[in-house]
Amino acid sequence: MAIKYTTKVIEHFKNPHNIGIIENADACATEGSPACGDEITVYLKINKETDRIEDVKFQSYGCASNIATGSIITDLAKGKTVDEAEAITWKQAAEELGGLPPVKMHCSVLAVDGLRSAIRKYKRDVKGIDYDSSLDVKTITEELRHVLYPPVGADIITLKMVKYIGIDDGAVRVEVSISSDDKFLDPTIDEIVEHVGRMSGVKSVHVENV
Amino acid sequence: MIYLDNYRSAVIAREAWEAMRVVALEQYAVPAPFTQCGTGSAELVENAQKRLASFIGAEQNEVVFTASGTEAINIAIQGAVKARRLDQPEIVTSEIEYPATLAVCKALEKEGVKTRIIGVDGDGFYKLDQLESAINEHTAVVSLMGVNHMIGTVEPIAEAGRIVDESSKRLGRKIPFHVDYASALQSVRLSVDDARVDLASFSSNKIHGPKGVGALYVRRGTRVTPLSFGSESYSPLVPGTPNTMGIAGFDKAVDLLSATFEMDVTHMRALRDRLAVGIRDRIPYILLNGPDGDGRAAPHLCYSFLFIEGEAVMMFLDMEGIVVDTGSACAAATLKPNYILMAIGRNHEQAHGSIRFTLSRYTTEAEIDMTLDKLVPIVERLRAQSTIRPPVPQGG
Repeated sequence: MAIKYTTKVIEHFKNPHNIGIIENADACATEGSPACGDEITVYLKINKETDRIEDVKFQSYGCASNIATGSIITDLAKGKTVDEAEAITWKQAAEELGGLPPVKMHCSVLAVDGLRSAIRKYKRDVKGIDYDSSLDVKTITEELRHVLYPPVGADIITLKMVKYIGIDDGAVRVEVSISSDDKFLDPTIDEIVEHVGRMSGVKSVHVENV
Repeated sequence: MIYLDNYRSAVIAREAWEAMRVVALEQYAVPAPFTQCGTGSAELVENAQKRLASFIGAEQNEVVFTASGTEAINIAIQGAVKARRLDQPEIVTSEIEYPATLAVCKALEKEGVKTRIIGVDGDGFYKLDQLESAINEHTAVVSLMGVNHMIGTVEPIAEAGRIVDESSKRLGRKIPFHVDYASALQSVRLSVDDARVDLASFSSNKIHGPKGVGALYVRRGTRVTPLSFGSESYSPLVPGTPNTMGIAGFDKAVDLLSATFEMDVTHMRALRDRLAVGIRDRIPYILLNGPDGDGRAAPHLCYSFLFIEGEAVMMFLDMEGIVVDTGSACAAATLKPNYILMAIGRNHEQAHGSIRFTLSRYTTEAEIDMTLDKLVPIVERLRAQSTIRPPVPQGG
């Protein structure tokens, strides 16, 4: 089947909204990494009285859908309160673009992660709100909801691909069930390692395909 | 459209298309004895065999036509392995082969056939000392390539052929040497005797013939077990009704190729160099993937543009009507960076930023200049948007 971008994705890729840097931003966060093929940085200017996002900008190292999702989530976030913006989901962002090919859905996750990270930094640093940073099966499960299985474009928890999560003094073991000749096995394992690896308190991540 | 993705598939030559039209509408009989129309079709296949054979220094009946380059590779490697019922058979190949070769090896691994992989250097040249040590009494076939499709490396095939030949003498039996020549035929002359090649695969659509046709050279005396079976044909390796329309198109493409070979190579090299110089002069922070100079196939150029990602470059060029390819993971259906770029020592980020330009005899100077004019602002714009910044020069 032909994998195509929607007209709206192409529009946002060609002329991305809110691209650039905010000097003296109230919060800024980078998600992804060049090694993984995509990285996004989100900058926020927030009215501290109302907690409303007055300006938002982003930069992107990545493909067309990475740029387009950065454009759409910054559009969605602008003018919203930080709580409202934090509730924006990657599905919503993808829908706003008229859909994304399943294999590109992770770009939407990355863009939303970038926005959320920036908001959480603001809440923590400016508002003194602490997030639950404990390392347990629940928080790891939540993190794994951000790992998508590329051919389907849905997360591996929803798809019931994760069979076991174990934690032993910061060493995390994740067992997944993917066919051993599945061409998406390696990229999925890489994603799990990347997501779980950046959680605070994690010393090592071991993924086993069972 | 400015088409610079000719290593994926090239436009069919008008003359080849015309040859196919004639066969489709007028000369459509199945090759057969005695009748005018049957023998006419049989001669069409024979003449096509003769022409390709003569272009590579072979005999007519050493060439068969397949459904693709991929099918030729399958018959060559699988057929050679199956023809010799060796105990614990092994295939010797490299880590940068065309996906078809690697897929055949992977499939045969499930049947107990081991693959021995030889490495490459930073320009993608085979490490031939590894070839020598990889060949042993279990080796059923050696499979290498003439030109690497991703990085344009012209591989030392004759040198490899000499090593295979000497190893065969050392072991006291002929080890067949297969060369995937699909990406090489349009720019590097092949003499199967000089290179001591026993099996060679070719693809029609890479040389301006139609898709759906390939060819396999099988040196007389080389044992290859057929993989498919059917009604009698001119060769047991390719049973059933021959694709005479496709063969006629391929034959015309070989005819055109041999008629203007040197001129075409000179033309493509000059334009490729024009593109390379333009990129080097106008775009900083780039890496050439594959060798510079004579070690590189004339139509081929592949650069990594640092700090940006290749799919975005490819998409912007596409919107300008310019077709290129990228080794970025983002453009791959599997989300993996190109394995050949990784094999020559590129890191993920460098592989993601790669753009491959492959020219043809039909590429014009105006198209190259237009490509440069469009490419430069695309790279500048994506760099301005990127999260990664070029390093600040030291000392102002």
